[in-house]
Amino acid sequence: MNALDVIIGLIGFALTLMVFSYLLGYNFFFRAALYLLVGISSGYIAAVLITKVILPLLIAPIQAHNGQFSPLTVVPLLLCLLLVLMLFPRTVSAGKLPLAFLVGVMAALTIAGVSRGTLAPQLLSIVNRFSPSLVQTDGEPAWGQILEAVFILLGVVAVLFTFHHRTHLKGDTEARSGLVEGLSSVGQVFIGITFGMLFVGFYTTALTALIAQLGTIKDFILSLITG
Amino acid sequence: MKKAIPILIAGLSGLLVLVALIWQPQLAGWLEVVLNWAVIIASVAALVAMATLLLAHTRKIIMVRHGFIYSVILIGAFLVSFVGGMTAGVENPSYLRWIAAIQQPAEASLLGLAALVMAAAALRLFHQRGWSALTVSFGISALVFLVLGLGWLQALQIPQLDIVIGYLEALPLVGMRGLLIGMGLGALLLGLRIVLGLERPYGE
Repeated sequence: MNALDVIIGLIGFALTLMVFSYLLGYNFFFRAALYLLVGISSGYIAAVLITKVILPLLIAPIQAHNGQFSPLTVVPLLLCLLLVLMLFPRTVSAGKLPLAFLVGVMAALTIAGVSRGTLAPQLLSIVNRFSPSLVQTDGEPAWGQILEAVFILLGVVAVLFTFHHRTHLKGDTEARSGLVEGLSSVGQVFIGITFGMLFVGFYTTALTALIAQLGTIKDFILSLITG
Repeated sequence: MKKAIPILIAGLSGLLVLVALIWQPQLAGWLEVVLNWAVIIASVAALVAMATLLLAHTRKIIMVRHGFIYSVILIGAFLVSFVGGMTAGVENPSYLRWIAAIQQPAEASLLGLAALVMAAAALRLFHQRGWSALTVSFGISALVFLVLGLGWLQALQIPQLDIVIGYLEALPLVGMRGLLIGMGLGALLLGLRIVLGLERPYGE
Protein backbone atom coordinates (compact mmCIF):
# COMPACT_ATOMS: atom_id res chain seq x y z
CA MET A 1 0.00 0.00 0.00
CA ASN A 2 1.65 3.26 -1.14
CA ALA A 3 1.14 6.77 0.30
CA LEU A 4 -1.53 7.67 -2.30
CA ASP A 5 -3.58 4.58 -1.45
CA VAL A 6 -3.39 5.48 2.25
CA ILE A 7 -4.56 9.07 1.57
CA ILE A 8 -7.43 7.90 -0.66
CA GLY A 9 -8.36 5.25 1.91
CA LEU A 10 -8.33 7.85 4.71
CA ILE A 11 -10.57 10.18 2.65
CA GLY A 12 -13.03 7.33 2.09
CA PHE A 13 -12.94 6.37 5.77
CA ALA A 14 -13.50 9.97 6.89
CA LEU A 15 -16.35 10.53 4.40
CA THR A 16 -18.05 7.29 5.46
CA LEU A 17 -17.93 8.31 9.12
CA MET A 18 -19.17 11.82 8.23
CA VAL A 19 -22.17 10.42 6.32
CA PHE A 20 -23.05 7.86 9.00
CA SER A 21 -22.84 10.60 11.65
CA TYR A 22 -26.38 11.42 10.46
CA LEU A 23 -27.53 8.62 12.76
CA LEU A 24 -26.62 10.96 15.65
CA GLY A 25 -28.63 13.79 14.09
CA TYR A 26 -28.39 16.34 11.29
CA ASN A 27 -24.92 17.64 12.23
CA PHE A 28 -21.96 19.62 10.87
CA PHE A 29 -20.02 16.58 9.56
CA PHE A 30 -22.97 15.17 7.60
CA ARG A 31 -23.72 18.55 6.01
CA ALA A 32 -20.02 19.10 5.20
CA ALA A 33 -19.90 15.70 3.44
CA LEU A 34 -22.99 16.58 1.40
CA TYR A 35 -21.65 20.00 0.36
CA LEU A 36 -18.30 18.42 -0.53
CA LEU A 37 -20.04 15.80 -2.69
CA VAL A 38 -22.17 18.46 -4.43
CA GLY A 39 -19.12 20.68 -5.04
CA ILE A 40 -16.94 17.90 -6.44
CA SER A 41 -19.74 16.45 -8.59
CA SER A 42 -20.86 19.81 -10.01
CA GLY A 43 -17.24 20.79 -10.79
CA TYR A 44 -16.74 17.49 -12.60
CA ILE A 45 -20.03 17.82 -14.51
CA ALA A 46 -19.18 21.42 -15.50
CA ALA A 47 -15.77 20.31 -16.83
CA VAL A 48 -17.36 17.43 -18.76
CA LEU A 49 -20.06 19.68 -20.26
CA ILE A 50 -17.49 22.25 -21.41
CA THR A 51 -14.96 19.80 -22.83
CA LYS A 52 -17.39 17.26 -24.29
CA VAL A 53 -20.33 19.39 -25.44
CA ILE A 54 -19.68 23.15 -25.57
CA LEU A 55 -16.20 23.04 -27.14
CA PRO A 56 -16.81 20.36 -29.80
CA LEU A 57 -20.43 21.20 -30.69
CA LEU A 58 -20.55 25.00 -30.28
CA ILE A 59 -17.03 26.46 -30.50
CA ALA A 60 -15.33 24.01 -32.91
CA PRO A 61 -17.86 24.57 -35.78
CA ILE A 62 -17.25 28.36 -35.54
CA GLN A 63 -13.48 27.81 -35.62
CA ALA A 64 -13.90 25.45 -38.58
CA HIS A 65 -15.53 28.31 -40.55
CA ASN A 66 -12.51 30.55 -39.70
CA GLY A 67 -14.59 32.59 -37.28
CA GLN A 68 -17.29 33.30 -39.89
CA PHE A 69 -20.79 32.63 -38.67
CA SER A 70 -23.11 30.33 -40.60
CA PRO A 71 -26.83 30.08 -39.71
CA LEU A 72 -26.25 26.61 -38.27
CA THR A 73 -23.70 27.91 -35.76
CA VAL A 74 -25.18 31.33 -35.04
CA VAL A 75 -28.60 30.07 -33.83
CA PRO A 76 -27.33 27.91 -30.95
CA LEU A 77 -24.76 30.60 -30.08
CA LEU A 78 -27.48 33.26 -29.85
CA LEU A 79 -29.76 31.00 -27.81
CA CYS A 80 -26.86 30.23 -25.44
CA LEU A 81 -26.11 33.95 -25.00
CA LEU A 82 -29.78 34.54 -24.14
CA LEU A 83 -29.54 31.78 -21.55
CA VAL A 84 -26.42 33.35 -20.01
CA LEU A 85 -28.39 36.60 -19.64
CA MET A 86 -30.55 34.75 -17.11
CA LEU A 87 -27.70 35.21 -14.61
CA PHE A 88 -28.56 38.92 -14.37
CA PRO A 89 -31.80 39.87 -12.60
CA ARG A 90 -32.80 42.50 -15.18
CA THR A 91 -32.49 40.15 -18.16
CA VAL A 92 -33.92 36.97 -16.68
CA SER A 93 -36.82 36.97 -19.15
CA ALA A 94 -34.37 36.68 -22.10
CA GLY A 95 -33.92 33.03 -21.15
CA LYS A 96 -37.53 32.21 -22.04
CA LEU A 97 -36.75 31.79 -25.75
CA PRO A 98 -34.01 29.13 -25.45
CA LEU A 99 -35.97 27.40 -22.67
CA ALA A 100 -39.11 27.39 -24.85
CA PHE A 101 -37.10 25.80 -27.67
CA LEU A 102 -35.66 23.20 -25.30
CA VAL A 103 -39.05 22.43 -23.74
CA GLY A 104 -40.64 22.07 -27.20
CA VAL A 105 -37.97 19.61 -28.37
CA MET A 106 -38.14 17.65 -25.10
CA ALA A 107 -41.96 17.51 -25.28
CA ALA A 108 -41.81 16.13 -28.82
CA LEU A 109 -39.19 13.55 -27.83
CA THR A 110 -41.34 12.58 -24.84
CA ILE A 111 -44.42 12.13 -27.04
CA ALA A 112 -42.49 9.93 -29.48
CA GLY A 113 -40.54 8.05 -26.80
CA VAL A 114 -43.48 7.37 -24.51
CA SER A 115 -45.86 6.29 -27.27
CA ARG A 116 -43.32 4.01 -28.96
CA GLY A 117 -41.27 2.90 -25.96
CA THR A 118 -43.79 2.66 -23.11
CA LEU A 119 -47.44 2.77 -24.14
CA ALA A 120 -47.32 0.60 -27.27
CA PRO A 121 -45.25 -2.26 -25.75
CA GLN A 122 -47.23 -2.27 -22.50
CA LEU A 123 -50.62 -2.23 -24.21
CA LEU A 124 -49.53 -4.83 -26.76
CA SER A 125 -48.26 -7.15 -24.02
CA ILE A 126 -51.76 -7.08 -22.47
CA VAL A 127 -53.60 -7.50 -25.78
CA ASN A 128 -51.25 -10.24 -27.00
CA ARG A 129 -52.26 -12.42 -24.06
CA PHE A 130 -55.66 -12.78 -25.74
CA SER A 131 -54.12 -13.97 -29.03
CA PRO A 132 -55.85 -17.16 -30.33
CA SER A 133 -52.56 -19.08 -30.34
CA LEU A 134 -52.23 -18.55 -26.57
CA VAL A 135 -55.82 -18.96 -25.38
CA GLN A 136 -56.41 -22.17 -27.35
CA THR A 137 -54.69 -25.53 -27.27
CA ASP A 138 -55.74 -28.11 -29.88
CA GLY A 139 -58.94 -26.15 -30.62
CA GLU A 140 -59.99 -26.22 -26.97
CA PRO A 141 -59.98 -23.09 -24.80
CA ALA A 142 -56.97 -22.95 -22.46
CA TRP A 143 -58.83 -21.71 -19.37
CA GLY A 144 -55.67 -21.15 -17.36
CA GLN A 145 -54.27 -18.78 -19.98
CA ILE A 146 -57.64 -17.05 -20.42
CA LEU A 147 -58.01 -16.49 -16.67
CA GLU A 148 -54.46 -15.14 -16.48
CA ALA A 149 -55.09 -12.73 -19.37
CA VAL A 150 -58.38 -11.50 -17.85
CA PHE A 151 -56.73 -11.16 -14.43
CA ILE A 152 -53.93 -9.00 -15.86
CA LEU A 153 -56.37 -6.87 -17.88
CA LEU A 154 -58.61 -6.28 -14.84
CA GLY A 155 -55.56 -5.55 -12.66
CA VAL A 156 -54.25 -2.92 -15.07
CA VAL A 157 -57.71 -1.32 -15.44
CA ALA A 158 -58.11 -1.29 -11.64
CA VAL A 159 -54.70 0.39 -11.20
CA LEU A 160 -55.66 3.06 -13.73
CA PHE A 161 -58.97 3.65 -11.92
CA THR A 162 -57.04 4.32 -8.68
CA PHE A 163 -55.98 7.64 -10.21
CA HIS A 164 -59.48 8.47 -11.45
CA HIS A 165 -60.61 11.34 -9.23
CA ARG A 166 -63.75 12.48 -11.02
CA THR A 167 -66.56 12.89 -8.51
CA HIS A 168 -70.35 13.15 -8.72
CA LEU A 169 -72.70 14.99 -6.41
CA LYS A 170 -74.30 12.46 -4.03
CA GLY A 171 -76.78 14.29 -1.83
CA ASP A 172 -74.78 17.07 -0.24
CA THR A 173 -71.33 15.56 -0.72
CA GLU A 174 -69.17 14.86 -3.73
CA ALA A 175 -68.12 11.22 -4.09
CA ARG A 176 -66.80 8.75 -6.61
CA SER A 177 -69.25 6.22 -8.03
CA GLY A 178 -69.46 2.81 -6.32
CA LEU A 179 -67.89 1.00 -9.29
CA VAL A 180 -64.95 3.40 -9.45
CA GLU A 181 -64.49 3.17 -5.66
CA GLY A 182 -64.48 -0.65 -5.81
CA LEU A 183 -62.07 -0.81 -8.76
CA SER A 184 -59.87 1.76 -7.05
CA SER A 185 -59.60 -0.43 -3.93
CA VAL A 186 -58.55 -3.41 -6.07
CA GLY A 187 -56.07 -1.14 -7.87
CA GLN A 188 -54.62 -0.05 -4.54
CA VAL A 189 -53.89 -3.69 -3.68
CA PHE A 190 -51.97 -4.15 -6.95
CA ILE A 191 -50.08 -0.88 -6.43
CA GLY A 192 -49.25 -1.94 -2.86
CA ILE A 193 -47.89 -5.29 -4.12
CA THR A 194 -45.76 -3.51 -6.75
CA PHE A 195 -44.45 -0.93 -4.28
CA GLY A 196 -43.68 -3.72 -1.80
CA MET A 197 -41.57 -5.53 -4.41
CA LEU A 198 -39.84 -2.29 -5.45
CA PHE A 199 -39.19 -1.43 -1.80
CA VAL A 200 -37.54 -4.78 -1.20
CA GLY A 201 -35.44 -4.38 -4.36
CA PHE A 202 -34.20 -0.95 -3.34
CA TYR A 203 -33.78 -1.96 0.30
CA THR A 204 -31.67 -4.97 -0.67
CA THR A 205 -29.48 -2.78 -2.91
CA ALA A 206 -29.02 -0.21 -0.15
CA LEU A 207 -28.25 -2.91 2.40
CA THR A 208 -25.67 -4.44 0.04
CA ALA A 209 -24.05 -1.00 -0.34
CA LEU A 210 -24.00 -0.59 3.45
CA ILE A 211 -22.34 -3.99 3.96
CA ALA A 212 -19.85 -3.36 1.12
CA GLN A 213 -18.90 0.05 2.54
CA LEU A 214 -18.42 -1.35 6.04
CA GLY A 215 -16.34 -4.16 4.50
CA THR A 216 -14.15 -1.63 2.68
CA ILE A 217 -13.50 0.24 5.94
CA LYS A 218 -12.67 -3.01 7.74
CA ASP A 219 -10.23 -4.01 4.98
CA PHE A 220 -8.61 -0.53 5.05
CA ILE A 221 -8.11 -0.64 8.84
CA LEU A 222 -6.73 -4.19 8.66
CA SER A 223 -4.31 -3.22 5.89
CA LEU A 224 -3.13 -0.24 7.95
CA ILE A 225 -2.54 -2.46 10.99
CA THR A 226 -0.80 -5.26 9.08
CA GLY A 227 1.08 -2.78 6.86
CA MET B 1 -47.08 39.58 -28.72
CA LYS B 2 -44.15 39.23 -26.29
CA LYS B 3 -45.92 36.29 -24.61
CA ALA B 4 -46.72 34.63 -27.93
CA ILE B 5 -43.11 34.28 -29.14
CA PRO B 6 -41.97 31.62 -26.59
CA ILE B 7 -45.24 29.69 -27.12
CA LEU B 8 -44.67 29.82 -30.88
CA ILE B 9 -41.05 28.68 -30.55
CA ALA B 10 -42.00 25.78 -28.24
CA GLY B 11 -44.83 24.70 -30.56
CA LEU B 12 -42.80 24.99 -33.76
CA SER B 13 -39.71 23.22 -32.38
CA GLY B 14 -41.91 20.45 -30.98
CA LEU B 15 -43.83 20.01 -34.24
CA LEU B 16 -40.61 20.07 -36.27
CA VAL B 17 -39.12 17.28 -34.15
CA LEU B 18 -42.34 15.24 -34.34
CA VAL B 19 -42.53 15.64 -38.12
CA ALA B 20 -38.82 14.80 -38.47
CA LEU B 21 -39.30 11.69 -36.32
CA ILE B 22 -42.17 10.51 -38.53
CA TRP B 23 -40.48 11.24 -41.90
CA GLN B 24 -37.26 9.63 -40.80
CA PRO B 25 -34.91 9.15 -43.72
CA GLN B 26 -35.88 12.40 -45.48
CA LEU B 27 -35.67 14.73 -42.48
CA ALA B 28 -32.93 12.89 -40.54
CA GLY B 29 -30.42 15.68 -41.23
CA TRP B 30 -32.74 18.36 -39.82
CA LEU B 31 -33.51 16.23 -36.79
CA GLU B 32 -29.79 15.84 -36.07
CA VAL B 33 -29.26 19.62 -36.28
CA VAL B 34 -32.18 20.40 -33.94
CA LEU B 35 -31.17 17.70 -31.46
CA ASN B 36 -27.59 19.03 -31.48
CA TRP B 37 -28.91 22.50 -30.66
CA ALA B 38 -31.05 21.04 -27.87
CA VAL B 39 -28.02 19.23 -26.40
CA ILE B 40 -25.95 22.45 -26.51
CA ILE B 41 -28.73 24.53 -24.92
CA ALA B 42 -29.42 21.91 -22.24
CA SER B 43 -25.68 21.88 -21.39
CA VAL B 44 -25.52 25.67 -21.19
CA ALA B 45 -28.71 25.67 -19.08
CA ALA B 46 -27.00 23.25 -16.67
CA LEU B 47 -23.91 25.48 -16.55
CA VAL B 48 -26.10 28.56 -15.91
CA ALA B 49 -27.81 26.67 -13.07
CA MET B 50 -24.40 25.82 -11.57
CA ALA B 51 -23.27 29.44 -11.96
CA THR B 52 -26.43 30.55 -10.12
CA LEU B 53 -25.66 28.09 -7.31
CA LEU B 54 -22.07 29.36 -7.05
CA LEU B 55 -23.20 33.00 -7.08
CA ALA B 56 -25.69 32.35 -4.28
CA HIS B 57 -23.01 30.68 -2.14
CA THR B 58 -20.45 33.41 -2.93
CA ARG B 59 -22.97 35.99 -1.70
CA LYS B 60 -23.43 33.93 1.45
CA ILE B 61 -19.65 33.94 2.08
CA ILE B 62 -19.25 37.68 1.38
CA MET B 63 -22.09 38.56 3.74
CA VAL B 64 -20.83 36.02 6.34
CA ARG B 65 -24.32 34.56 6.71
CA HIS B 66 -25.14 31.68 9.07
CA GLY B 67 -23.67 28.43 7.71
CA PHE B 68 -21.28 30.16 5.31
CA ILE B 69 -18.64 27.52 6.10
CA TYR B 70 -20.65 25.02 4.01
CA SER B 71 -20.57 27.47 1.11
CA VAL B 72 -16.76 27.65 1.46
CA ILE B 73 -16.60 23.84 1.28
CA LEU B 74 -18.90 23.74 -1.77
CA ILE B 75 -17.09 26.44 -3.74
CA GLY B 76 -13.65 25.10 -2.78
CA ALA B 77 -14.61 21.57 -3.88
CA PHE B 78 -16.15 22.91 -7.10
CA LEU B 79 -13.04 24.92 -8.00
CA VAL B 80 -10.65 22.03 -7.26
CA SER B 81 -12.74 19.59 -9.31
CA PHE B 82 -13.44 22.04 -12.17
CA VAL B 83 -9.89 23.39 -12.53
CA GLY B 84 -8.49 19.85 -12.26
CA GLY B 85 -10.83 18.63 -15.00
CA MET B 86 -10.06 21.55 -17.32
CA THR B 87 -6.28 21.34 -16.90
CA ALA B 88 -5.66 17.58 -16.62
CA GLY B 89 -8.61 16.56 -18.84
CA VAL B 90 -11.80 14.86 -17.71
CA GLU B 91 -10.54 11.46 -18.91
CA ASN B 92 -7.20 11.67 -17.08
CA PRO B 93 -6.96 8.49 -14.91
CA SER B 94 -5.33 10.31 -11.95
CA TYR B 95 -8.03 13.02 -11.98
CA LEU B 96 -10.79 10.40 -12.22
CA ARG B 97 -9.21 8.46 -9.34
CA TRP B 98 -9.38 11.53 -7.07
CA ILE B 99 -12.96 12.29 -8.08
CA ALA B 100 -13.96 8.66 -7.44
CA ALA B 101 -12.11 8.71 -4.09
CA ILE B 102 -14.65 11.29 -2.87
CA GLN B 103 -17.77 10.34 -4.83
CA GLN B 104 -17.66 6.57 -4.35
CA PRO B 105 -17.47 6.38 -0.51
CA ALA B 106 -19.86 9.32 -0.03
CA GLU B 107 -22.48 7.90 -2.43
CA ALA B 108 -22.12 4.32 -1.17
CA SER B 109 -22.47 5.54 2.43
CA LEU B 110 -25.54 7.61 1.52
CA LEU B 111 -27.08 4.53 -0.13
CA GLY B 112 -26.23 2.49 2.97
CA LEU B 113 -27.79 5.18 5.15
CA ALA B 114 -30.88 5.01 2.93
CA ALA B 115 -31.32 1.35 3.96
CA LEU B 116 -31.60 2.38 7.61
CA VAL B 117 -33.82 5.38 6.89
CA MET B 118 -36.08 3.32 4.60
CA ALA B 119 -36.66 0.68 7.29
CA ALA B 120 -37.77 3.42 9.70
CA ALA B 121 -39.89 5.13 7.01
CA ALA B 122 -41.67 1.86 6.14
CA LEU B 123 -42.71 1.44 9.78
CA ARG B 124 -43.81 5.09 9.96
CA LEU B 125 -46.04 4.52 6.89
CA PHE B 126 -48.40 2.35 8.95
CA HIS B 127 -48.52 4.93 11.76
CA GLN B 128 -49.31 7.82 9.42
CA ARG B 129 -51.61 6.24 6.81
CA GLY B 130 -53.22 3.60 9.04
CA TRP B 131 -54.50 0.26 7.78
CA SER B 132 -55.75 0.51 4.21
CA ALA B 133 -55.77 -1.73 1.14
CA LEU B 134 -52.59 0.01 -0.01
CA THR B 135 -50.61 -0.23 3.24
CA VAL B 136 -51.64 -3.81 4.05
CA SER B 137 -50.82 -5.09 0.54
CA PHE B 138 -47.54 -3.12 0.65
CA GLY B 139 -46.56 -4.68 3.98
CA ILE B 140 -47.46 -8.25 2.99
CA SER B 141 -45.77 -7.85 -0.41
CA ALA B 142 -42.58 -6.47 1.15
CA LEU B 143 -42.48 -9.35 3.62
CA VAL B 144 -43.14 -11.99 0.94
CA PHE B 145 -40.52 -10.60 -1.46
CA LEU B 146 -38.00 -10.23 1.35
CA VAL B 147 -38.43 -13.96 2.11
CA LEU B 148 -38.34 -14.87 -1.60
CA GLY B 149 -35.22 -12.73 -2.03
CA LEU B 150 -33.39 -14.90 0.51
CA GLY B 151 -33.77 -17.85 -1.87
CA TRP B 152 -34.50 -20.43 0.85
CA LEU B 153 -37.91 -21.43 -0.57
CA GLN B 154 -36.46 -21.81 -4.08
CA ALA B 155 -33.65 -23.97 -2.65
CA LEU B 156 -36.22 -26.54 -1.41
CA GLN B 157 -36.91 -27.40 -5.09
CA ILE B 158 -40.55 -28.43 -4.59
CA PRO B 159 -42.28 -28.24 -8.02
CA GLN B 160 -45.68 -27.09 -6.64
CA LEU B 161 -43.99 -24.42 -4.54
CA ASP B 162 -42.01 -23.23 -7.56
CA ILE B 163 -45.29 -22.73 -9.47
CA VAL B 164 -46.71 -20.66 -6.60
CA ILE B 165 -43.48 -18.62 -6.42
CA GLY B 166 -43.70 -18.04 -10.19
CA TYR B 167 -47.25 -16.63 -9.80
CA LEU B 168 -46.21 -14.50 -6.81
CA GLU B 169 -43.28 -13.04 -8.73
CA ALA B 170 -45.55 -12.20 -11.67
CA LEU B 171 -48.09 -10.35 -9.47
CA PRO B 172 -46.17 -7.03 -9.19
CA LEU B 173 -45.95 -6.87 -12.98
CA VAL B 174 -49.70 -6.20 -13.14
CA GLY B 175 -49.39 -3.11 -10.95
CA MET B 176 -46.19 -2.10 -12.72
CA ARG B 177 -47.92 -2.27 -16.12
CA GLY B 178 -50.80 -0.18 -14.82
CA LEU B 179 -48.44 2.40 -13.33
CA LEU B 180 -46.32 2.55 -16.50
CA ILE B 181 -49.40 3.02 -18.70
CA GLY B 182 -50.71 5.71 -16.32
CA MET B 183 -47.36 7.55 -16.30
CA GLY B 184 -47.07 7.15 -20.07
CA LEU B 185 -50.53 8.65 -20.64
CA GLY B 186 -49.70 11.51 -18.26
CA ALA B 187 -46.39 12.25 -20.02
CA LEU B 188 -48.06 12.03 -23.44
CA LEU B 189 -50.77 14.47 -22.39
CA LEU B 190 -48.25 16.91 -20.90
CA GLY B 191 -46.11 16.73 -24.05
CA LEU B 192 -49.12 17.46 -26.25
CA ARG B 193 -50.21 20.36 -24.01
CA ILE B 194 -46.70 21.90 -24.29
CA VAL B 195 -46.58 21.54 -28.08
CA LEU B 196 -50.08 23.06 -28.34
CA GLY B 197 -49.09 25.95 -26.06
CA LEU B 198 -51.53 25.08 -23.28
CA GLU B 199 -48.74 24.38 -20.77
CA ARG B 200 -45.83 26.82 -20.35
CA PRO B 201 -43.15 25.48 -18.01
CA TYR B 202 -40.67 28.08 -19.36
CA GLY B 203 -42.67 30.89 -17.72
CA GLU B 204 -45.66 33.05 -18.64
